[in-house]
Amino acid sequence: MADDDIFAGTAQAEELTFATFGCDVFQANPPTPDRLEPDIRFELGVRHGLKLPTPDFREIEVWRFDWEDRPRTNAWPSPTLRMRQGQVVHSTIHSRSNTHTIHHHGIEPTPVNDGVGHTSFEVSGRYTYQFQANEPGTYFYHCHKNTVLHFEMGMYGFLIVDPPEGPGALFSGGPRYDVEKLWAVDDFDPRWRELDDQAGLCGEDAGLNLFNPKYFGVSGAFAPNTNTDPRAVVRARGGERILIRLLNGSYSVLRTTLGVDAMVVGVDGRGLGRTGAPWSRPFAIPAGQPFELTTAQRYDLLITPPHAGEYPVRFEFLNWITRAVQDRGRGVALTRIIVT
Amino acid sequence: MKRRHFLQYGAAWGAALALTGGAVAQTGNAARVALTIEPADVEMIDGVSVFMLLFFGPNGARPVLRATEGDVITLTVRNNDARTHGFAIPGVAGATIGAIQPGRERSATFTAPRGGTYLYIDPTLAPVNRLLGLHGAFVVAPRHPATPVGVVTPFSRDAQTTNVRTLFEALGASERFPGHRWTPDRERVWMFSQTDPALNVRVDAGATIDPRTVVANFAPRYFTLNGRSGFDSSHDPATRASGYIGEPLLLRVLNAGLATHSPHIHGNHVMELSGVGPDGAQVVRDNTLERDSWTMAPFDRKDMLLPFERPPDIPPAAYPMRQEQFPLRYPMHCHIEMSQTAGGGNYPQGLITDWEILGPSPPAGG
Repeated sequence: MADDDIFAGTAQAEELTFATFGCDVFQANPPTPDRLEPDIRFELGVRHGLKLPTPDFREIEVWRFDWEDRPRTNAWPSPTLRMRQGQVVHSTIHSRSNTHTIHHHGIEPTPVNDGVGHTSFEVSGRYTYQFQANEPGTYFYHCHKNTVLHFEMGMYGFLIVDPPEGPGALFSGGPRYDVEKLWAVDDFDPRWRELDDQAGLCGEDAGLNLFNPKYFGVSGAFAPNTNTDPRAVVRARGGERILIRLLNGSYSVLRTTLGVDAMVVGVDGRGLGRTGAPWSRPFAIPAGQPFELTTAQRYDLLITPPHAGEYPVRFEFLNWITRAVQDRGRGVALTRIIVT
Repeated sequence: MKRRHFLQYGAAWGAALALTGGAVAQTGNAARVALTIEPADVEMIDGVSVFMLLFFGPNGARPVLRATEGDVITLTVRNNDARTHGFAIPGVAGATIGAIQPGRERSATFTAPRGGTYLYIDPTLAPVNRLLGLHGAFVVAPRHPATPVGVVTPFSRDAQTTNVRTLFEALGASERFPGHRWTPDRERVWMFSQTDPALNVRVDAGATIDPRTVVANFAPRYFTLNGRSGFDSSHDPATRASGYIGEPLLLRVLNAGLATHSPHIHGNHVMELSGVGPDGAQVVRDNTLERDSWTMAPFDRKDMLLPFERPPDIPPAAYPMRQEQFPLRYPMHCHIEMSQTAGGGNYPQGLITDWEILGPSPPAGG
C-alpha cells in the first residue's frame, strides 16, 4: 500500500475539524506504519457485559479487554501486559463492536500508535499498535474513546515493563523485590452503567460531568471485602521485600495511608535513582503519613516490614471538588499487608 | 443599562484576543499596569452563552501580567461592573486592593516577587468572583536567572536547587537532550478553571450568594484552559505548545477553579520544577520528578518542563519514521475525565490541548 493510502481517513491525512475532534472522529483500521518484527505480541479483544457481584448483593457491570488468542481470563481488571525493556511490542486491539482504541498510558510512541481518536483514529476492526518499551516501570493501558465513560467502565489493565533480566528488580541496578502486588484502586458510579457506549458524544447531556461513586475497590475486590480478598491483601514472609505498584484508576483524589514505612522508588513509569535522571531520587513515606494520588498517577512503593504482623492500609476516595470522602463518608477501602 | 463584551472563540481563534501581553508599561524599574473588570457574555464550546466577569488589559480579556523581579509596579484596577470587586495576588505582599466600588478605580503599588508564576484574582466573595472568571496569571522573570555556570533557568539564582540546575545544564548539552538550551521565550501559560453556569446565572440576576454554600453546590459543566476548551483550546496558538525536538519548553500551569485536575500529557513525560507551599510561596523542587500525570489542586501553580525529547518509546529501528510524518501531535488532557466534557457530554470538548513536535531537530540557524 502506498504511504499516503495507509493514512486515508485518519488524522495523519485528513483535516481536523470541530466534528472530527469529537462527534465524528476518524475511524480506520490501517496497517501499522514503519512496521518492525515484534519481540512480543498481545492480542486484546473488547468484551462488554461482565457483571461483578457487589457486597450488597447487586452487580456492577464492567467493560474490559481480554485475550483474543489465549484462554480468556474472564477477569477484571483486564489482563496485565508484561514485557521487557527494549522489546519491540505489538499490541493489537480487536474492537469486535463499535469503535475503541488502546492508549498505552505513559508509553510514548508516535501518534498513530498512541490510541487517541482525534490525533489518529478509532479502530472499528483491528489495529496493531507498535512501540518499544524503553523505560522500565509501571504503566497501564486503557480505551481512549469517549474516555470519560470507557475508562470508568473498566476498559483498562496494568502494563509493566521489566528490566531486560526480567521481574525481580524495578530497573537494572535498581531496587529488588521478592513479592509484588498490583493495586488498581477504583470507584464505580452505578448510574453510568445505564449509559450507551456513545453516550454524550454528539451533543446530548449525558450527565458525564457528574460522578457519584457508590462502590470502591482494589484490583477487582470491592470494599469491605478488600480487607480479606487476596486480590487486595498482601502476604509476605519476614525479611521479604515487597513492591507495590499502585495506580489511581478512580475519578477521586486517592488518599492512601500505609501502616508501615515505604519508599517511593518509581513514579509514572520512571524509576527514581536510575542513571540518566540524576535530578530525581527515591523518597520516604513514613507509616501513618497520608499521601495523595490523582487519577492515572502511579507510585512504586518498596516496603520491607520490620517484623511479622499485620500492617493496615487505608484508601480514602475524596471528591474532586469538595474533598469530602465520597458517598457521604462511605468512600473508604481497607486492606492489609500480612507478614508471617 | 449594562454594556457587555461578547466573546466568541470558535470563529475567532488565531485572532489576538486572549492572553495578550502589553498590559504592563515599563520605565526602568517602575512599571504601570491598568486593568478593568468587565461583564461579558462568553460563548462556550457547545454554543451556550454564559455570563462571566473578566479582567481586561489593553489588548483584550484575560491578560497575562509580566514583570521582572524587583520592579516596582503600580497597578490600577477600574471596575466597570455593577458589583463591588477587588484584587489580590496570593503570596505577594502589597498586591492587594480592597473594595472597588462600581464605576471607580483604585491602585496599589508593590514590588515584583522572585521569578516565577503567580495567580491574580478578585478575592471578593471568594470563591464566587474568581469562578465567574476574575483571575489571571502574573509571570515574573527572575532578575538573576542563570546558574553559577551561566545557564538560564526560570528561577532566581537564590531559589534554584541543585537538581534544577543539573537539569537545565543538561538541556542541549547531553545525549538525552540534544538541541538547544531552554530560553525564556519557550513558554506557555496554562490557566485551568471550571464554570457552573447555574452560579453565573444567579450572580447575573443579582442574587445574594452566601460564599460558604458555593463549594458544596458547585457542579461545573465547562472545563477550560486559558478560557477555552476542546477543539478551541487545542488550536489556540497561545495555548498549544509547538517546537522541534531539542527545544525544551516551560509550562506555567495554574488552577483558578474549585476542582482538582490531574493533567496527563502524551508523547513526553514532564519534569515538575516547582509548586506552592502552604503559605502560597513558591517552592522550587530539589527532587525533580518526571511525571506523565500531575496534580493541580485549586490555587496550585506549578512550573513543568516539557523537554521536547524524542518520544522515548518510538523504536530506534523505526526512527526517523519513513511512513508516518512530522509533525507528531499529542494531547494533554485532564484524566479526572469528567473534565473532558462540555454541557454533560461532548467528549473531548473539555480541558484539553494538543502539542506538536515539528521535526527531529531544530532548524539550522533557527
